[in-house]
Amino acid sequence: MGVVFPSIPAIEQELQRFPAAVTEEFQRARQRLEPGMTTDDLLAWGSMGVSLAQQTIRSWEVAAEYYRVSSSVLDDLPMDRFLSWAQHGETLCNQSPPVALAYFRVGRDATSMLTTEQLGAWAQMGLGLYKGTWKSSIMAARFFETSPAMLQALSFAQVGRLVGLLDTVTQQSSDLALDCLSLAAETLPRVPESSEALLNLLAAVSAKSWRDTKGSLEGASKALPKVSREHRARFLSLAEKVAASDHGSVAAFMQEASQALSQIPPEAQPALLSMSEVILAKRPTLLTDFFRSGPMVLSRLRDGQAETWFVEGLKLLEENPDAGVAFFKLESSRSEELMESLSSTVELPRIKDLLRMYCRALAGTTVEIASSKDLAQKGIGWVDETEPTTEGKTVFLPPIVDRHQQKDENFEWYKVVSTHQVAHLEFESFGFLYDEPSVSFRDLRPKLTPKRRKKMGLAANQPQEAAQDGQAEQEWLTDAQKFFDLFPERRIALDIFTVLEDGRLDTRVKREYAGLRKAYGRVQQDTIALRPLEEGQAAQEMLIEFLLRLSLGQRMKLIIPAKYEAEARKMARVARRVFKMGTQVEDTAEGTLRVYAILAQIPNERVPQDEQAEYDDNAEQDSDQESEGESQEFLEQLMASQDQEPGEEQEKEQQESQEGQSPDQQPYSSPKDVDYRGSFKPELVQLLNKLREGQQPQGEQQTQQIDRTQLQEMLQNNVELEAAKGDIKSSALFANNLMREAGMSQSPNMPAMGQGPFVHTDDEGGPLEAREPNTFVYDEWDFRAGDYKPRWCLVREKVVPEGESTFWRQTIAAYGPLLGQIRRQFEMMVPESFRRMKRQPDGDDFDLDATLEAMIDKRSGVTPSDKVYWRRNKIQRDVAVALLLDMSASTAEAIDESTRGQDDWDGPNDPAEYMAWLRARRGEGARRQHKRIIDIEKESTVLLMQALSLLDDKFGIYGFSGYGRENVEFSVIKDMNEPLTETVRRRMDRITPMHATRMGPAIRHATRKLELTDAKTKVLLLLSDGRPQDRGYSREGVEKEYAVHDTKRALTEARSKAITPFCLTVDKAGHDYLKTMCQDMGYEVLADIWTLPERLPYLYRRLTV
Amino acid sequence: MSTVKTADVKEIRLEEYVIRTEPYYLPQGDEISLFEVAYHEKLPVLLKGPTGVGKTRFVEYMSWRLGKTLTTAKPKEKADRDNDGHVGIPLLTVACHEDMTASDLVGRYLIEEEGTRWIDGPLTRAVRYGGICYLDEVVEARKDTTVLIHPLTDHRRILAMEKRGTIMEAHEGFLMVISYNPGYQTALKDLKQSTRQRFIALEFDFPPKEIEAKVVAHESGVDSETAWQLAKLGEKVRNLREHGLQEGASTRLLIYAGKLILRGVSPRRACKVAIVDALTDDAQAQRSVQEVVTSIFE
Ligand SMILES: Nc1ncnc2c1ncn2[C@@H]1O[C@H](COP(=O)(O)OP(=O)(O)O)[C@@H](O)[C@H]1O
Ligand SMILES: [Mg+2]
Repeated sequence: MGVVFPSIPAIEQELQRFPAAVTEEFQRARQRLEPGMTTDDLLAWGSMGVSLAQQTIRSWEVAAEYYRVSSSVLDDLPMDRFLSWAQHGETLCNQSPPVALAYFRVGRDATSMLTTEQLGAWAQMGLGLYKGTWKSSIMAARFFETSPAMLQALSFAQVGRLVGLLDTVTQQSSDLALDCLSLAAETLPRVPESSEALLNLLAAVSAKSWRDTKGSLEGASKALPKVSREHRARFLSLAEKVAASDHGSVAAFMQEASQALSQIPPEAQPALLSMSEVILAKRPTLLTDFFRSGPMVLSRLRDGQAETWFVEGLKLLEENPDAGVAFFKLESSRSEELMESLSSTVELPRIKDLLRMYCRALAGTTVEIASSKDLAQKGIGWVDETEPTTEGKTVFLPPIVDRHQQKDENFEWYKVVSTHQVAHLEFESFGFLYDEPSVSFRDLRPKLTPKRRKKMGLAANQPQEAAQDGQAEQEWLTDAQKFFDLFPERRIALDIFTVLEDGRLDTRVKREYAGLRKAYGRVQQDTIALRPLEEGQAAQEMLIEFLLRLSLGQRMKLIIPAKYEAEARKMARVARRVFKMGTQVEDTAEGTLRVYAILAQIPNERVPQDEQAEYDDNAEQDSDQESEGESQEFLEQLMASQDQEPGEEQEKEQQESQEGQSPDQQPYSSPKDVDYRGSFKPELVQLLNKLREGQQPQGEQQTQQIDRTQLQEMLQNNVELEAAKGDIKSSALFANNLMREAGMSQSPNMPAMGQGPFVHTDDEGGPLEAREPNTFVYDEWDFRAGDYKPRWCLVREKVVPEGESTFWRQTIAAYGPLLGQIRRQFEMMVPESFRRMKRQPDGDDFDLDATLEAMIDKRSGVTPSDKVYWRRNKIQRDVAVALLLDMSASTAEAIDESTRGQDDWDGPNDPAEYMAWLRARRGEGARRQHKRIIDIEKESTVLLMQALSLLDDKFGIYGFSGYGRENVEFSVIKDMNEPLTETVRRRMDRITPMHATRMGPAIRHATRKLELTDAKTKVLLLLSDGRPQDRGYSREGVEKEYAVHDTKRALTEARSKAITPFCLTVDKAGHDYLKTMCQDMGYEVLADIWTLPERLPYLYRRLTV
Repeated sequence: MSTVKTADVKEIRLEEYVIRTEPYYLPQGDEISLFEVAYHEKLPVLLKGPTGVGKTRFVEYMSWRLGKTLTTAKPKEKADRDNDGHVGIPLLTVACHEDMTASDLVGRYLIEEEGTRWIDGPLTRAVRYGGICYLDEVVEARKDTTVLIHPLTDHRRILAMEKRGTIMEAHEGFLMVISYNPGYQTALKDLKQSTRQRFIALEFDFPPKEIEAKVVAHESGVDSETAWQLAKLGEKVRNLREHGLQEGASTRLLIYAGKLILRGVSPRRACKVAIVDALTDDAQAQRSVQEVVTSIFE
């Protein structure tokens, strides 16, 4: 500090030299300070400001700031410490007024958190950051600005470390350092518990590469909030190891790792972290992939199980790194199988085929199995994505079940649920007929008349169409709709119907399937146990719940409203009649009428606790038949209830509540769905079935087509859609979806709700699923891992469209003489199979030579041979052949070019470039009017097919090409059991070069075709022009090998299925890779492609004897 | 050469082809009366249907039943009579296979000390002495057998014995019955129109559950509850024809399972060996069918 002025006026006078703001601040502070200060102190304080102001031109700002904050700083600090604080400021100001400004500005916020020694050190840190440049002054200023927040989160020593770090970075780039400081100031206070670890990490990062400091900080600031608090330190120390390991960026690591951690529950996070630690130590490059698969593994497997899986993977990693990598990426069958065997979870895709067959057996119809999610996405009224249900054709099941600790219990649950759902089909819930008599009731339905109630809105909108609509509606009314039209309160009627029908099915299933009884009972018990006793139920609701529990088999401690015990008893009796042996859905309907009649008498009032009673159902003996009187009573009650229009009732209710007559009367709400039963929609399913029937050709003339508006109107009062309505909003869209589901044409401008079939198209990605018809998935062999990649390729089978018949005719004409020759050769194959076999022990007739010998032997006393007959050769031709034609783009090459011996391997590797390259070559070919490889392939095939008509052999002609593993195109020209028709001949014309070549899946698919064919001799003949080549075949660099190995594997698989594979290639350069591929299998390289038309039939004959 | 010396050659006498006790047969429809008419009108009969639905049993039953009203095959000894005091007409069953030739049906020469001797095949025997010749799974036979079948199944009713250069007229009581399973025939092994149009066709299919349960109970001896469950299993498994299984479980297999159960094998196990594994080798299909089994049986 410079001079201490002798008096306040002296100071005031000196301050006059600076802008007025300084004096203002001085005066304001002085007024506050003067009363509590000695004159000396006051003068020392005032003089300090002057000294600050005098330092440089701009330092008056610093002085003003000094005066502004000093009174609050002095609240905290004694004068001597205050002065040393000010002096530090003065030193700073001397260097850079902006820095000093920032220093003073944080004032008390900082000083209150620092000791005397720290105060000096702190100022020193700021000073240290200032290197005399403008940028560094910003840096130092920012340091002071952010100090209060950082001091809150960090210890003083940690702040020091941070500054040290920043200092290192500043030396390289001050911009970067500045960003780091801002990020640190922002991040650290949010994660105070992790500050030490984060600093360690930053130290490690900046020691390695100062450039990454910012990225890491950024990464941390995004990642840390996703990691649960208690595991953050561990997470950061792992990141630190990554930083030290030279593998990948810390930022990327943090992003991936935190993403992974956020996908699993906190209690599973330590497991993932420790696994990652091990992986980092063993094979750091795998870490990224592991973060992709890890969460999935940990969410499927429990702790110990996951460890077993992990240890197995480590072992593999040691024995065979490639296999280990595939294992951890979940791109290996071994890994999947192990996980599957460890996991108690059952996933629908794994048991879908099994359940499909099971359900088909039970139902006797072609039931499909699908995930409930698929149904919800169709937007046709079902909304729950996990509830099981059926829409009459498909049984929908939750995609995954993990209810029990044991896998087989989870499977059992699936089985029980499927059995219940399929029971709707087996015992014909949807076959309800209004006029069909019931088994155990005196039918009331014939005595009642359904009333179609229109909702006001729609009818009013379209008055002119009303009459016509009415007629169409009559025609389209389903039996279930007619039935539910009997009830003013459809919702209640539907709930009763659902409970009774599900109960009927459950008792039926348990009776018919003794083996399932126990498991079924367990599922029901669990359901009852998990069903909450709802608070505040009203009388009707309570009684429906009572009925529902009865249907689940609960007999004791049922809760009912005390004053309706008699009614409950009656309901139980009705239910027992419905659940009797041999009843039908019509009994459910009759039961519904009766229960409804009972409930209609009861106001839906709250039942307070003390008015509830427990009810034990002691299975009183019912008389077998309902008495006349009983049914009469129900009828009268029903008629009475039917007379009320729902509108009226609501009004009435309103009135009543207004008048206060029945204050407790509540609107009725449905019981909670039973988990294993799901939501049952009889009306909707009958309608859907009817729509589907209308699509059958024979149905068309009987039922007139319904249009969307009519359908929409019919759906107006369908209560089964209530849950969906909110979602679907417009019932027009809904009607549209429904029509689409039934396979009807809809108006084109209506977008369909929900998603169509979706196929995963990621080259990396995981296993695929065959969702669409005529698609098939196959494993692919990964030679490095020595394991299959499960469900890796998706084959799409399609029939080749018809072209012109001229191609076939012209080929036959062009090859006239050759064809004659081939035919003769083939004709000779027929008699071959009837060769006489001599010297047989048994046969058609005596073999003259053998008989003579036998006679002579006999005469000369030798025991004669008894082989004296001849018989026809018992070998009968029984041959099936699949011919696989390469339809890849490379077959478009003109033949001259290929004979030049150019190696295809030289083509660009990038698929897009490769295609362009090929197009260029193809263009040349076309100009020269040369034949292309594919032309010769086609012609040869035509000749072969023509010759084959002489034999009884089964043969299929297929083409293959594709792009990517999710698009392997398998074109059917002639299927194995298809006759050689004109259509087939026309298809030959349309064979053209397409895309890339992924041979493995095509071979596997052809193998499957052969497997499904019954023959003694089976041959798979592969005709190709070159190597297998496709996009995304494995990791770069080893594609060629990978492709060749997978192809070879596919051929080996075929052979293990008693199929003879044979590769014929027209690629001269192909010899080498064919050797690897076919080692011990048949192969041939055609040196001269022009010989193919002769060679192919020749090979055919050779292979099939 | 044409004289048969019954004394020194082991030759099965026709009587041994005669059914002496009433076979158990539960009719599914009017097949019994139709067959009787066919026999009297000398109309060849084709039995169509999957394996194990009772075609063979039906023919056996008919041959026994027809014996009641016929006098062609006379009982020789007391022992041959059953309680009713009658025996059936002869039944010669030939299971056809792809190696079977015309000689296997007509007969052949055997070498003897002093030359050769002719021995009748089963078809010749039935033609010669009267009786039913039943060619089971006829499409399995080679095509040259049709040469024999044709003249026997039209108005001529003759058997050409090429080897001997003779032609034999069929006996009054001769009837040709063939069976054929349209289910798994491939186009190659279909029955030719020229052949099938010589027969009246009786279609057999798996009987309804009620009848099948009775058959199973009777044949295996299990109680009616178990028989009912087996019949139900049969019904369910047959739903899988064309949906993963080539054929449904035959009544015969259900009976096998019943027999195992009666002998103390647990029902689930019995069904596994007698039905599930017998039906298919496909692991997936086996598992599905086994799930049906475990649903039905405890
Ligand atoms: N309608 C039936 N009455 C009595 N037994 C039957 C009946 N149908 C089938 N069987 C039983 O099934 C078994 C198999 O029948 P079988 O006649 O050999 O079948 P197929 O000749 O049609 O292959 C028989 O041994 C018999 O026990
Ligand atoms: Mg048989």
